[in-house]
Amino acid sequence: MLIAVLTVAIIALIAGIALSFAAKRLPSDAGFLVEQVNELLPQTQCAQCGYPGCRPYAAAVVDGTAAINLCPPGGDETARRLAGLLGREVLPVLEQSSPAVAVIDEALCIGCVHCRNACPVDAIIGAHHLMHTVIESECTGCELCVAPCPVDCISMKPLVPAEACQVAATGGQ
Amino acid sequence: MRWSIRSRKEQHTYTPGCRNRTVQIEVAFALTDEQQLLALSMPQNSTVADAIRASKLSQRFPDVDFDVLDVGIWGRVVARDHRLADGDRVEIYRPLEIDPREARRQLASLGMTMGARQKG
Repeated sequence: MLIAVLTVAIIALIAGIALSFAAKRLPSDAGFLVEQVNELLPQTQCAQCGYPGCRPYAAAVVDGTAAINLCPPGGDETARRLAGLLGREVLPVLEQSSPAVAVIDEALCIGCVHCRNACPVDAIIGAHHLMHTVIESECTGCELCVAPCPVDCISMKPLVPAEACQVAATGGQ
Repeated sequence: MRWSIRSRKEQHTYTPGCRNRTVQIEVAFALTDEQQLLALSMPQNSTVADAIRASKLSQRFPDVDFDVLDVGIWGRVVARDHRLADGDRVEIYRPLEIDPREARRQLASLGMTMGARQKG
């Protein structure tokens, strides 16, 4: 009787250790992988990849239906990390035709907060009936604020040549 | 020894502002050509006015009178004695350059709408 109990206990212990190691060493569960990919993405929810947000894109990347180089805000660094995580080939990010940020024409802004509400990265400062301004360093150039403006006062300003060159140079590496 | 993958999540656990009795906030002010977004750590029970003073924005923008501008948090105008909470972004707003109603009235008299101005 004692031998039987000990045998079962030992088997259970070995199985438990094996399972816990497997869970740690082989995190290949698709849901977990999607979470890992999602954590590498910049969470700008800008939809420039063609998916509604970062998590849907992460799911598509894990499925294999989306390439790893569709995230302009993440840039080459994110593409490299995704390649490392998923064991895929590193591809340069397909940049937008030219990197740009949104600029609000202050002579036209009526303080309607539509652009502010559309901005996925909170790059716009403004409140009702007060001036709205884009924080350039936060803007990812996703253009989601352009369409909601009822007075068409938002335009996309290409980044200064020096910055654009820098992007081109790192993109070429 | 860590047995489970749950430890990953625990690293991201968010503890709202009671650590060291401070609140982590940001102060933002923007002109078209220069913007400031400053991360600050303020003592608990600080007010919006305290944060603006601590940001030293008035030194950075000497031409701007920060005492008369509207202030708010995340797009909502608040009073200057409003108490800060963790994660707040204190924003200082400039007034509009135009009166929206007046601009619309003038355009309407020309047979235009506001959205059509730039397209046309």
